[in-house]
Amino acid sequence: MTSATLIENRAVYTPPSDYRLTAFGLMRSEWTKFWSLRSSWIVLVCAALFGAGIAVAVSADYSANYDPSADGFGMAPGDVLFGFLLSGVFIAVLGALFITGEYTTGSIRSTMSAAPRRTGVLWAKAAVFAAVVVGVYSAVVLATFYGTQAILSGTDLGGASLSDATTLRVLTGYVATIAYLGLLGLALGAILRNSAGSIAFYIGVIMILPQLATMLPWQWVADAVPYTPGEVVNTLSMSDTAGANLTLGESWTWMGIWIVVTFGLAAVLLRRRDV
Amino acid sequence: MEPGGGGRNVVSMIEIEHLTKRYGKKTAVDDLSFTVKPGAVTGFLGPNGAGKSTTMRTIVGLDAPTSGTVRVGGQRYDRFRAPLTEVGALLEAKSVHAGRSAYKHLLALAHTHGIPKRRVSEVIDMVGLSDVAGKRVGGFSLGMGQRLGIAVALLGDPAVLILDEPVNGLDPDGVRWIRQLLKRLAAEGRTVFLSSHLMSELAQTAEHLVVIGQGRLLADTTVDDFVESRGGGAVKVVSPNAAALAERLQGPGVSITSPESGVLEVRGTGSAFIGETAAAHGLVLHELHTQRASLEDVFMEITADSVEYQQSKEGVAA
Repeated sequence: MTSATLIENRAVYTPPSDYRLTAFGLMRSEWTKFWSLRSSWIVLVCAALFGAGIAVAVSADYSANYDPSADGFGMAPGDVLFGFLLSGVFIAVLGALFITGEYTTGSIRSTMSAAPRRTGVLWAKAAVFAAVVVGVYSAVVLATFYGTQAILSGTDLGGASLSDATTLRVLTGYVATIAYLGLLGLALGAILRNSAGSIAFYIGVIMILPQLATMLPWQWVADAVPYTPGEVVNTLSMSDTAGANLTLGESWTWMGIWIVVTFGLAAVLLRRRDV
Repeated sequence: MEPGGGGRNVVSMIEIEHLTKRYGKKTAVDDLSFTVKPGAVTGFLGPNGAGKSTTMRTIVGLDAPTSGTVRVGGQRYDRFRAPLTEVGALLEAKSVHAGRSAYKHLLALAHTHGIPKRRVSEVIDMVGLSDVAGKRVGGFSLGMGQRLGIAVALLGDPAVLILDEPVNGLDPDGVRWIRQLLKRLAAEGRTVFLSSHLMSELAQTAEHLVVIGQGRLLADTTVDDFVESRGGGAVKVVSPNAAALAERLQGPGVSITSPESGVLEVRGTGSAFIGETAAAHGLVLHELHTQRASLEDVFMEITADSVEYQQSKEGVAA
């Protein structure tokens, strides 16, 4: 009863007992945060327009210059969507900003005060971001596919449908690539906690460095490049995977490995560092 | 306590024991121990850089102690099932994404704990931001940002409130409002802990006082005792008949010193008694006033050493 004597006869306050910090609550919170920023909408829409725009332009050009008597370029119906690989860059940056924005503005303090175990916030962010990206880009990639099919109807690339296993796999591959790169950006943002630093790291180290590395005179470097975080997804969106560095199975495995490694590191650092 | 360790004790006291926090070589908080009790406003006083914010950050788990423990209601903050209902904190003004509206910021935080929208609107009204709740926080003044921070702290209707320099940027109306609010919250039995580097600010609001300098505890006392213990309440008398007056004033509990000829400093009795005594004996007074050692003076005096030490140390390092 020592505590009771300490407060003597003052009022005893009992806070509301019907509130609970939950994983579902954290996801709702991240959902609200994501959609309440104009930049989220802008980047999502720009990246979608970018990918769809290139697909439409390429299809129109292909259709206009189509010569039925000539051999094709070895293209498959899904290949005209390659612009979505560039959408992946936008989404990776958006993923990084989804968490670095909290550090830049200081809102991370309210976030982590509300969820002092911290890692739940990271998982909620990853889940919500992946769900948004997969949802939005499934719709956008699908719509773009049907749009390009309408343009390509008179050519050898026309008449494709989702019941074609390769087409379906490639379309799924584009969505998975974008989601993977977005998650990679998010993990990177959680590790580096700085907007400019994360974007520079992503573009410099994840995207460009592997390309430069292949020019080095050592074969083992060139051999290692396909396994780097930004390169392992390449096979997913290829219609013909015969010449790919990694098989589809290897690609998925390495994507899993990099997600586990980067998010694992992000989670450990999140627990250890002061906010 | 409820099973599972996530429940709460009845008394939400803040208990800080031997807290030390270092950032690299710099020691921000040095073996600090004190408790903050419910039902009263406790002021946390210290010069800038004394370690107030660091201490407050460790209470809500933003910073991990280098050593020592910080507990709320007998538990580590990260063990609570509903942290926002235990501790509400205002740590830095405008800790909000500039592109988000005040309403959405509060709503996102509310969602984490399943706090209903009704409560979000309630705290927005309470802090007087109803008209601008839908606007982007980027356009907020410092005072509005501060009000939003207070709304965040109040969101979970918490048992403990921690406010770091809450009056910064508030207009006089806002200052009066927050003083009344904090007193009311404390009267409800909550623990209210607010920091300031301005003694006068805390004197108006706080009952209890924790004073730190250079990360070390300098005083842990009531505001009244704090002033009293530092020579408050002396009456200065200037009189050509000082010696005669001193003789007449002698009595139990009265102490009289004479810092210079013709000047008396009288403790243990009031200026009214001194004036009346002088008049009764026909003694001339040139000056008679109560030297209310202001809290500011006391504070400056008590922290002077630590501040100087810090400056000289920096001088050596530079």
